[in-house]
Amino acid sequence: MPAIFPRWTNNIPLVVALAGPVVGAGLVGGVWYFFSPKFTDVGYRPVQPVPFSHKLHAGDMGMDCRYCHNTVERAAHAAIPATQTCMNCHKDLVKTDSPKLKLIRDSYESDQPVPWIRVHQLPDYAYFDHRPHLAAGVGCASCHGRIDQMAVVQMSQPLSMGWCLDCHRDPEPNLRPLDQITNMAWDSALEKYDPKADSARVRAVNPPEHCSGCHR
Amino acid sequence: MTRVNLIHAALLGALGAGLVGCQGNRSDVPPVHLIQNMDFQKRFDPQESNDFFRARDCADEVAAEDAAVAEAVAKGEHPPLVERTCWARAMRPPPFGTVAVGHLKDDDHLHRGRGTDGRLADSLPRAIELSEALMKRGEQRYNIYCQPCHDYTGGGQGIATLRGGGFKIQPPSYHIDRLRAMPLGYFYEVITNGKGTMGSYAAQIPAEDRWAIAVWVRTLQVSRTKGGK
Repeated sequence: MPAIFPRWTNNIPLVVALAGPVVGAGLVGGVWYFFSPKFTDVGYRPVQPVPFSHKLHAGDMGMDCRYCHNTVERAAHAAIPATQTCMNCHKDLVKTDSPKLKLIRDSYESDQPVPWIRVHQLPDYAYFDHRPHLAAGVGCASCHGRIDQMAVVQMSQPLSMGWCLDCHRDPEPNLRPLDQITNMAWDSALEKYDPKADSARVRAVNPPEHCSGCHR
Repeated sequence: MTRVNLIHAALLGALGAGLVGCQGNRSDVPPVHLIQNMDFQKRFDPQESNDFFRARDCADEVAAEDAAVAEAVAKGEHPPLVERTCWARAMRPPPFGTVAVGHLKDDDHLHRGRGTDGRLADSLPRAIELSEALMKRGEQRYNIYCQPCHDYTGGGQGIATLRGGGFKIQPPSYHIDRLRAMPLGYFYEVITNGKGTMGSYAAQIPAEDRWAIAVWVRTLQVSRTKGGK
């Protein structure tokens, strides 16, 4: 009686046993990494309609973040500044006829917003409020990276749920003195800061870890 | 044999590239979320655009588009593709003159810096008390909003005045006789309404903080006055 299966099929169990875990692990690992915001979101840097340089304004000139993003301490949303904020200097004083600022001047004349492109965007089912993060002493740079060194702003952190929880479960390494929040150069590795010993803090930081803390 | 080796090498290379090609790759293409999970829902965040109001906010552009389309249709051509320059707002600007409940700003001293006689006041409004905390707040807010032009000491040599070709008109020093003689309400009034080439900071700084800054400006002046004031 002739064999139904050719001889090479004897190897199939062995090949499956050896390659199966490798391919499986590769697939799981691939989805785990390449489908996550670590890969899909970090590094997103859209070309803005006006080539505003944070490196020039916040870095070289050392302007405070809150000069423009002035709602960050008072509202959940750190607002993109009104065109008038640009015009505080660029209306009559500096680079008033720069072609790069044409859109800003047009916006000021026409009362229409500049179509800035949003860089950092949380999923719509996640609730986020800047205020408690600032009040707890989380620096701007902790989530947004060294904006003062970016000529074009890009996402430097994944803003994923796992990333949020890393800090919510152990916030202390990401806390800094309350008067250093907008200091981009503040480095926790150099400062040896202990939030528990800081007398300026009136209450302990207690970030929520339950679902409805962020999914309200 | 060599063929198998080649395939192996290619697979290893692809694996290596896959592992290295990674986090922080720069891209100006919006993030693609392979698992959507309702990340982006049909609702509006602050400052987003909303096409619903386009006919109202972008009336000129919409009219021009309609005219171009009508013209093309009349000629039997394909309508032209026009690049958009106007976006309608999801956050609706209130009609001019609207006052939100509780925001009438009827305290002339607090909101206009003027006393009952209509002249600039030389004192803090009743709601604000002079304290160390107020001065510290004033210093902090001054260093955020005023220091870029007026510098840390009020000398008018801030970094913004020195860059990009310099300011066309320099801000004055606070330490000149004209400004030393000014009442406290004057500084509040200038922050609120602007003066000369300086714009209004009322939208950026709440009234209480504007008073704190006025106090800090006075503090800077006193610090430079012989014997204090």
